[in-house]
Parts: sequence; C-alpha cells; structure tokens
Amino acid sequence: MSDWSPFLGLPLWVWLFVIPTALAAIARLQRARLMPLLRRIWRVLDAVYLASGVLAAVFMVMILLLIVAQMGARWAGITFEGSTEFAGYAMAATSFFALAHAFSRGAHIRVSILLNLNSFTRMWLDAGAMLVAAIIATYFARYAVKTNFLSEMLNDRTQGQDQIPEWVVSFLSMFGTAPGNWGAIWEKTGDAWIYTPVWVPQLPMSVGTVLLAIALWDHLIRLLVTDETAIKGETVE
Amino acid sequence: MSELYATAIFLFAMFALLGGSVWVGLALVGVAYIGMELFTSRPAGDAMITTIWTGASSWTLTALPLFIWMGEILYRTRLSEDMFRGLAPWMRWLPGGLLHTNIAGCTIFAAVSGSSAATLTTVGKMSIPELRQRGYPEYMIIGTLAGAATLGLMIPPSLTLIVYGVSINESITKLFLAGVIPGLVLAGLFMTYIIGWHYLRPGERPKPEPSMSFARMIKDSRFLAPVMALVFIVIGSMYFGWATATEAAAVGVIGALALALVQRSLTRETFFASLMGATRTSAMIALILMGASFLSLSMGFTGLPRALAGWIDSMDLSPIVLIAALTVFYIILGMFLDGISSVVLTMAIVEPMIRQAGIDVIWFGVFVVVVVEMAQVTPPIGFNLFVLQGMTKHEISYIARTAIPMVGLMVLMVVILVIWPELATWLPDNVRQGPRG
Repeated sequence: MSDWSPFLGLPLWVWLFVIPTALAAIARLQRARLMPLLRRIWRVLDAVYLASGVLAAVFMVMILLLIVAQMGARWAGITFEGSTEFAGYAMAATSFFALAHAFSRGAHIRVSILLNLNSFTRMWLDAGAMLVAAIIATYFARYAVKTNFLSEMLNDRTQGQDQIPEWVVSFLSMFGTAPGNWGAIWEKTGDAWIYTPVWVPQLPMSVGTVLLAIALWDHLIRLLVTDETAIKGETVE
Repeated sequence: MSELYATAIFLFAMFALLGGSVWVGLALVGVAYIGMELFTSRPAGDAMITTIWTGASSWTLTALPLFIWMGEILYRTRLSEDMFRGLAPWMRWLPGGLLHTNIAGCTIFAAVSGSSAATLTTVGKMSIPELRQRGYPEYMIIGTLAGAATLGLMIPPSLTLIVYGVSINESITKLFLAGVIPGLVLAGLFMTYIIGWHYLRPGERPKPEPSMSFARMIKDSRFLAPVMALVFIVIGSMYFGWATATEAAAVGVIGALALALVQRSLTRETFFASLMGATRTSAMIALILMGASFLSLSMGFTGLPRALAGWIDSMDLSPIVLIAALTVFYIILGMFLDGISSVVLTMAIVEPMIRQAGIDVIWFGVFVVVVVEMAQVTPPIGFNLFVLQGMTKHEISYIARTAIPMVGLMVLMVVILVIWPELATWLPDNVRQGPRG
C-alpha cells in the first residue's frame, strides 16, 4: 500500500473510499434534515456537469476544425506539423470532459436485466452498482491525477512534432502554483513555441475522471436520499 | 494460488460486475484491475493510465465522434419525411410494395449514420404510420423494420466497425469498405423475404397503389438526391483514397450541416442538440473503449487468450467449425450485451484465436457485425426491440416474434459470408492507395 501514502494524517484510501461511503450512509440516515442543503449542492453540481459537457462539445468542434485545416493544408501543399497529435488531444479532451455529463443524462450503458426485476432491486441493486462504480471511478481518477502530476514532474514531452506556445504552458501552470510564484513563471516564459509537455493535454483526463467520480458518489447519495434515481435517461440517442 | 483458481475468480468478477448492472466501461476497468492484482506484480494503476491515455488520445479514434455527429444532425432534420416521399414512387412497383421502403430507407440512412437505433427511429417515425394507413399487416411492418435497422451497424459509417478497428488496430477505411457489399446483400435478402411474403400470402396484400406519372416520380425523388450525394461523397472519398476515415467523417459533418441548412431545418436548437447528443454518445463509447483497453492489457497477463488460442490450435479445428462455434457464442453473448460491448469484451481473447486459425481479420470484422446485429433483435436484451416498443406500444415478445425471420436471414448471411468471403474482402483489397489511415 505504498501508493496510498498518508494525507493529513489518514491514508489516502480512507479519504477516497471510506469517507465518501460514510457520507452516503449519513445522508441516508439524516435525509430529512439534510435535504434542503443537499438540494442546493445538487443544483451547483448539475451546472458543473453541464458546463463540462459544453466544454467537451467545444473540443469536438475543435476536432472538426483541426481535420478540415489539415485537409486544406494538404491540398495547398503546406505541412501542418502535429495535426494528428492535436486531433488526438482534442479527442481525449472531448471524451473525458463529457464523462460526467453523459453519466448524469443516462448515456452510459449497462446490463439492466436484473435491475428491472422488481422495485427492491431497482433501488438496492442500483445503489450497490453505484457504490461499486463510484469506487472504480475514484480509483481511475486517482491514478489519472497521479500520472498527470508525474508527467509534469518528469517534464515528459510529446513523441510527435506538435508544438504549442510557451505562454499557454505558463498560463496553465499558474493554476498549480501559489500566486507568490507567478512572477517567477512568467519571467522564464519566452514567446517561443515548445514541444507539447504531455501534462497539458492530460489535464482534461484528470478533470474529467475526477468529475465522473464525483458524479457517481453524488448520484449514489441522491438515490439514497430520495429513493429514486436522479439519472434522467433518454430512450434513444 | 493455482492458475485455474485465479482464472475462475477473474471470470466470476466479470459476470458479477456486468450482471450486477455496473456501467459497462467501469465494470471492465474493475475486472481488469482484479486481473492485474491476481496475475502480475506490476503496479495496476499506473499501467492502467498509460494504456488508457494512449488509447484515448489516438488519432484513429477521432473518426468516432465525427461520424456520430453527422448521424445526429441528419437524425434531427426533415430527412425522414423526404425519404418516404422520395422512395415510395420507386418501391410501389415491386412485389411487396411499400414495405420495401423500410429496407431501402434503412439502407440509405445506415449509410449516413453508424447507429442502429437512430436508423430505426428515423425510418420508423415515417414509415410505420404510412404503412399502417395503407393496410399492410402489422407483423410485416414491424419485423422488416426491426431487421433492416440493424443495417445501421453494417453499412459504413459503422460505430461497431470503428470500435472493432480500434480494438485490433486495423485500418478503419478497409473495414468500412468491407461492410459495403455484405450490407447490400443483407438488404437484398430482406427484400427477397418481402417478395416471398407477397407471393406466399396473397390474402394479406393491401390494395395496389394508384398509378403515377413518371414525371411525378422524378419530381418526388429530388428529395433524396442530396442525401444520396452525401453518401457517395463520404464512401467514395475513402474508396478512391482521397481521404482517411476521419477526413471522410469531417466532410460528412460539413455536408450534413449544409444539407440541413438548405432544408431550413438547421435551427440553433437542432444544432446544439445534435452537438451535445453526439458528445454524450461518443463519451459513452469512449468510456467502454477505455475499460476495454485496460482489460486487454490485463487479459494478456492472465494468459487466457494464449491458452485458448493454443487450445484451438491443438484441437485442429477447421475454420468453419470455429466460425460456427463463435456464431453461437456471440448470439448468446448478444442476448445480454449490446454489440459494441460484446466486441470490446471479447476481442482480447478472440483476436489471437482467429489469427492463429488464419482467418482474415477484416473479414472477421464483417462477420462479427452480422452476429452482433442479431443481438439487436433478440430478447431479452435487444436494443431495437426496446426502441420499437417505445414507438409502437407493442409487447416486446410480439416484436421479437415478428423479427424471428430476420434473425434467420442474418444466420443465412453468415453462411453466405463463409461461402463467399470475397464479398467482404474484395472491395478493401482494391482500394486506391491514398493518405495513411
């Protein structure tokens, strides 16, 4: 368990798995009292899932534009360095950002044959499945974030020919540093283009998987508190 | 712990997670994690992210959201109305009459959309009321529609074939071209069935359609011309090597947007609805693919695929027996899982097996699509059945019964593919050399 080093005095797995489960149990037991507070949180979270879905859609449009630009460049005889890598990054961004939004709209599929047996399984099998799924998603998110940090620490660069302006990297690293150090970041920043550091396109992976994990714990709590699933399914997409 | 014991736990975990209604993509991650912990000392989490990141950010995958988007745009236009008006004049002369619009409509929509459910809804929305009104027997309307809608999975662009191509690392362009002729043959089989019904059950024929002038026929079919043009541009650009699958998809999206704009059915709402809908569907498939890529890594450590391939080799089976066994296996699997999930779940095991047996992987892709198509119309879990239930308010069991002849035709299609494999392999072998992809 070397990978689960203590954080604020408790092993990381307690924070990631035990505490959310405990929170879900408390929410179930105290549901009458917690309902007004929870409703406010749910409104905020719904907006967050939607916003991340919209961001995913923006990246999907970006894939289209990149590919059109690539075709245009080929016909014009210009080489568009790294266009396939950029399209790949946009692909990852659209997939990961949309995970939580797709989940909250019931787009992710599952085998529901046992779920539809009776009203007991519809409630408790669903809750069990959400708990298991939440644990898996949290595990997924934890390693996505870890890998993202490692890529930054090791200064991992792309294998392709894709380059991005250095200021983009500096701008994004502001979010991960204390405001006191921002000056130091910008002092080192030139107006050069550099080979893409892998951690930049990996950011959507971290954000998206963390949001998916939050969405799963959130919907588990909603199910336990309201006795009905909050996933607004659509029959056909 | 013995190898056998660990394998049993691994397989049990797979059934428990999937059967316990955990979302497919996450269930695959969970199963893969268990496999890693049981069979190797490699750190599971780090290996997981490396594999998933490489897969999720790959260029090949970019064709997926774009083809989904193209289908979504056309699904929200007035295409379905135009399709019926444009097709009806040509189908009325055939024995079996307007029932053929179900098949022809599905074939055309399948060529712009990779999804079976979207094909079913688009065509059914228009053809069910029209055919009912003209007095065609209900079981023929529902049955032919349920069967023909599965063409959405086979005729390119096909989401199942993209997923298959990504899983085994084969050219998507080749797979798409491989699907064209078998898709048309299957459509031909469905039409033959309708013609057969016409002659065998003369009592059920509705009264013939009033005659129509040739000028009127041409006039009515102008509605179809833009869609047909789009189909030829998308498939043609891949065949002639002008564009990779992804580029063809980008052209398709732009073409679909232009078509909707000309039709004046592209409002701000439909544009955003198509965009968000495509984003969700693509994320759904992406999550399954993420789980699947981790699972195939983990599968490699379990030694199951190698053992099975070795076992198949030692039995000295003929490829035909192997294909027959796999057909039965996929039909059973398809009763519980949707097509895409069954493909990704099994590929890690099946791929070494078929390569060992010397079966062409492009041909196998088409075969897999035909067999998972059957899954769409077989109970208890058949997605097309659910969609049709929503549209017609019939019982699932009734819809499934009407679709049984169609399943029979699909089995016949498998036999045809085994006898004449060139149906699938000829077109991709003759593709013009173009950009990579």
